[in-house]
Amino acid sequence: MALSDSLPEFKKRNAEVVAVSCDSEYSHLAWFNTPRKQLGVAGIELPLAADFTKAVSRDYGVLFESNGISLRGTFLVNPEGVVVSETVHFFPVGRSVDEMLRTLEAFQETEKGLVCPVNWSRGKETINPRKASEYFDKVK
Amino acid sequence: MTTLVGQKAPAFRMKAMVKGEIGEVSLDQYRGKWLVLFFYPLDFTFV
Repeated sequence: MALSDSLPEFKKRNAEVVAVSCDSEYSHLAWFNTPRKQLGVAGIELPLAADFTKAVSRDYGVLFESNGISLRGTFLVNPEGVVVSETVHFFPVGRSVDEMLRTLEAFQETEKGLVCPVNWSRGKETINPRKASEYFDKVK
Repeated sequence: MTTLVGQKAPAFRMKAMVKGEIGEVSLDQYRGKWLVLFFYPLDFTFV
């Protein structure tokens, strides 16, 4: 739900967000029709995709075979269709929308030929690989 | 399992629930855009 609420942040960066589980589309619809206070996602804006055959989860390496459900895997795919980032959490811990946005923004910076050093986030300095000394000269 | 990073994203086409309607999503429709594709265990749990 937090992701759906942040959808405008992704959309304004030319990014779309799609959620996938091994449930059927009818389960997704029932979830959509359930109020948030009852663990529902009423009105969620994100598409919820039905990987009912588990083939997509398997292809992406996030199908946990012992119980047949998907791990919390997050993949960032660039406009050419190449995966540039993957993060997989085990079941008990949710993911960070801030980190997803940071990763997206960082990869978009790299489209300008720049690279993003450790702990980079929006507004911080990037490195121009051709003039890397300009960055490292400022390092204390 | 090897990482998918640096590889073409595996193609997919799935039934999907989109804003209360049953439709379809496929990888092709996101060409030219950035796509965050995320997996979660089950409906009616947190994501």
